[in-house]
Amino acid sequence: MQAFLASIGYEHWILHVLLALPMAALPLVLLLPVRFARWIALTVALTEMILGLGLWWAFDASNPALQFVTDVPWLEQFGIGYRVGVDGLSVMMVLLSVVMMPLVVWGSWKGIDTKQRGFYALLLALKTGMLGVFLALDMFLFYMFWELLLIPMYFTIGIWGSSNRLYAATKFVIYTFVGSLLMLVAILWMVKIVGDATGTYSFAYTHLLANSQALAPYGSWLFVAFALAFAVKVPIFPFHTWLPDAHTEAPTAGSVDLAVILLKMGTYGFLRFAIPFFPAFALSDAVGLTMATLAVVGIIYAALVAMVQPDLKRLVAYSSVSHLGFVILGIWGSTVESVQGAIMVMISHGISTGALFFIIGMLYERRHTRKIADYGGLARVAPLMATAFVITAFSSIGLPGLNGFVGEFLVLIGSFGRYPILVVCATTAVVFSAAYLLWATQRVFFNRFTNPKNEGIGDLSGREIAVLAPLIAAMIWIGLYPGPILRRTEASARQYVEMVESYLPPAEPIIANRTGGQP
Amino acid sequence: MTIDPGTPLGAVLALLPEVILTGWALVVLLLVAWRHKSAGDSRLVGNISLIGFALALAATGWMASQGVAAEGLPQMIALDGFRFASDALLLTIAAGVTILSLRWLERQGILAPEYYVLIMLATVGMMLLAGAVDLITLFLGLEVMSISVYVLAGYDRTRRASAEAALKYFLIGAFASGFLLYGIALIYGATGQFNMTLIGAQLAATEPTLMARAGVALMLIGFAFKVAAVPFHAWAPDVYEGAPTPVTAFMASGVKAAAFLALARLLAEAFPGYVELWRPVLFGLAVATMLIGNLVALAQQSMKRMLAYSAIGHAGYLFLALWAHSDAGTAAVLVYLLAYSVTTVAAFGILASIERAGARTVLISDLEGLYAVRPFAALGMTICMLSLLGFPGTFGFISKWYLLSAPLGVGEVWLPIIAMVASGISIGYYLPVILAMTLKPTRTRQAHQTIRFPRPAKFAVALCVIAILVLGIWPRPVLDFASHEAVRLRQVATPILTR
Repeated sequence: MQAFLASIGYEHWILHVLLALPMAALPLVLLLPVRFARWIALTVALTEMILGLGLWWAFDASNPALQFVTDVPWLEQFGIGYRVGVDGLSVMMVLLSVVMMPLVVWGSWKGIDTKQRGFYALLLALKTGMLGVFLALDMFLFYMFWELLLIPMYFTIGIWGSSNRLYAATKFVIYTFVGSLLMLVAILWMVKIVGDATGTYSFAYTHLLANSQALAPYGSWLFVAFALAFAVKVPIFPFHTWLPDAHTEAPTAGSVDLAVILLKMGTYGFLRFAIPFFPAFALSDAVGLTMATLAVVGIIYAALVAMVQPDLKRLVAYSSVSHLGFVILGIWGSTVESVQGAIMVMISHGISTGALFFIIGMLYERRHTRKIADYGGLARVAPLMATAFVITAFSSIGLPGLNGFVGEFLVLIGSFGRYPILVVCATTAVVFSAAYLLWATQRVFFNRFTNPKNEGIGDLSGREIAVLAPLIAAMIWIGLYPGPILRRTEASARQYVEMVESYLPPAEPIIANRTGGQP
Repeated sequence: MTIDPGTPLGAVLALLPEVILTGWALVVLLLVAWRHKSAGDSRLVGNISLIGFALALAATGWMASQGVAAEGLPQMIALDGFRFASDALLLTIAAGVTILSLRWLERQGILAPEYYVLIMLATVGMMLLAGAVDLITLFLGLEVMSISVYVLAGYDRTRRASAEAALKYFLIGAFASGFLLYGIALIYGATGQFNMTLIGAQLAATEPTLMARAGVALMLIGFAFKVAAVPFHAWAPDVYEGAPTPVTAFMASGVKAAAFLALARLLAEAFPGYVELWRPVLFGLAVATMLIGNLVALAQQSMKRMLAYSAIGHAGYLFLALWAHSDAGTAAVLVYLLAYSVTTVAAFGILASIERAGARTVLISDLEGLYAVRPFAALGMTICMLSLLGFPGTFGFISKWYLLSAPLGVGEVWLPIIAMVASGISIGYYLPVILAMTLKPTRTRQAHQTIRFPRPAKFAVALCVIAILVLGIWPRPVLDFASHEAVRLRQVATPILTR
């Protein structure tokens, strides 16, 4: 495989093709008759997936550096370039995005019956923006992609969302836009500081990172500006209030894209930019403790709130806040295990929450309600759907043997050395998440079949099975054999941890204590 | 090519675009004397005036390509890249406004082709104002511009609001001119010079005197009135709302641009020695203008009023570039003004197409469901709003980035932060416009059926919108031009002064 990919020069064009293809197809979607729109989107999505999957093999897992790097001048007078590349951290996000893309298109196949051209065009634009965020290695380019994403998401929620969509869309855009404004100033200021110190004014990620010691005196302010943007996007408690609204009101495709990709952009931002640029401040005791505490508060609070949601989608939305808390905890745990765990949670949260949103979307298409109380006993009429939901719920809870367990477990053991008490608190959330998801499963799919309107619900169609089957297969595969993914992220995670380690206050390595111990 | 503005030929050459435009305006005025009755006459005059702009633009281009420069110190009018760039910008704005007015005037029942002559004369005034290196020329340009625009603001004679706008603008404008003139007099008293470069050298060489300080302060106040900076902004919303819409576009883009260009030159050439004095003033003006302009805009229902307050907010951003007092700042003034003007002309162009004769002013809620009926108009307006907001992918973002870099380049970080906070406030009123147009349903079946988008205006607006998008991705030509060619202000006049 690798030889084949090398023979076609894969590494030279793949990233550009991934970025350009959706945009190139966009005019086609808009101009051709409406019945072609979803087919074009599906073709593009499948092409992207097939091309993108090559990254799995072409990516050199043993190399922690950035790979497939391209640097083309754009506004070179100002040190701005089209700079893209991947490492172990972003390659997984890119793979996740390209794999989800055809599923999202397919998942919206029937649900979107108005203004299809616009919908699929926005979906394609969204895809370019998402991939751009993960691929960009130029701060200017990154900021452009980061912000550009808002527009397709805004219209996706605002036009095809459910009843309260205008409020949700506005809230989403205002939160995320305002959150990232100061990041622009921070980026410009960084370039200026590093430029003054080195004589080269450049927005290149590698240049800024290599000279990040020049940023140390201003680290606190710059970190706050970056962290605000990322914290809103993650979202970290208490910046999370936009998320339940946006998730709930968005159409299925919007919810899935939000959950699978958009939320990960925030945590990715922390790992890629905010901490490596300003490690001394970001990893200082006070900041670390604050972030870890907020993460754990988010984990527990969101789990508790999820428990009492009468709306199925809102419940899953709060569960997202809870899961993303684990990622933040893992990032600040700052061990190889916890960082790898964080990446793993990012991936498996994408898979299981994506699947949950798909299933809820399928229910909604049939019954046009998301109220848990309107359902009950669906396992009788839709056994396949019930099975899929139960597996997905278990995966989301973190049942050993499914994907959710791997990441959360790694995060918890990896972070225990630094934040033992917080980790103990976070562990309780596993119980809460079992409570809210199992309870919801019971009320929707089991219990007594009370509502006669649910008679005609019907089981999964072939298309729906095709959407869910890959996700469920991935849950089981990652749960049983996470090795290939962990191997691909390990080198980058290790390099990251080595880079930040010197800034960490010495933690007590519990495992070493146990084995080495005192005589 | 060097010319001596002291000779008659040299003077004509130095003032070539202005001379051409003035001459053309007089010819058009003669034409108007017997063709001023029908709608056709009005259209004819408008089209002919466009030729004048094209000729003046060509002359500017020729001068820039020849690198026309003065022998020794430029007298009265500058001969440098900054002036040519300013002239090109102002002429483009004026041409755009003329195109927007072409059928609009007839539809509104305003049949008096002198309108186009006034626009041309106002443009001559703007060019003089922006290119002046002499305080007398500066004042002359300011008055030619202002008086023409006073008349234009009240051009819709049958509407009370228009008359009110003209009167308000006239009274406040006269007041501002008074400040400016008094300032000029005091500066002259302190230095004995009218030439900006000589004033700059004189002020830098001597201890600051009270008279000179007062002169600087009064001139700043005068300009603050003209660009509608808080707290001298109270006239702007009423005047913008009352004036005919193309004239509002002209005031919001052209008048503001000319005043800022002149202020940039004045601060860079005449008052660099007093930078400690005017920097805090600009800082205060910038902060107050950005925050108050954007905050008050949140409360507006009427599109024109909203855009008026948004224009105030943008004036606040522009002060950042002046504050920086660097080459990057001067370049940023040009780039930002270009982005802002292109967007403003397009936004008002779309707004003008929505207006109906005799109807009340267009509210934001009147735009509801526009996308369903007029998708391209709604799309254009959306792009304009995003550009004004400074959203990536539009020229507005590039210009805002460029603008923020200027104060950052000299180590100031609070102004950019406040600007971004203000920009965060501004999403609160740009987004509802987008929301109303694209996401809300139409109120009635008849909504938006009366929209008439004349072909020339459609063409101009489309061009502007495309420019916003293209320059949002590929701004290099503009940025290179601004930062290389057009920023040679701040010449040192000391060798001439020591004679």
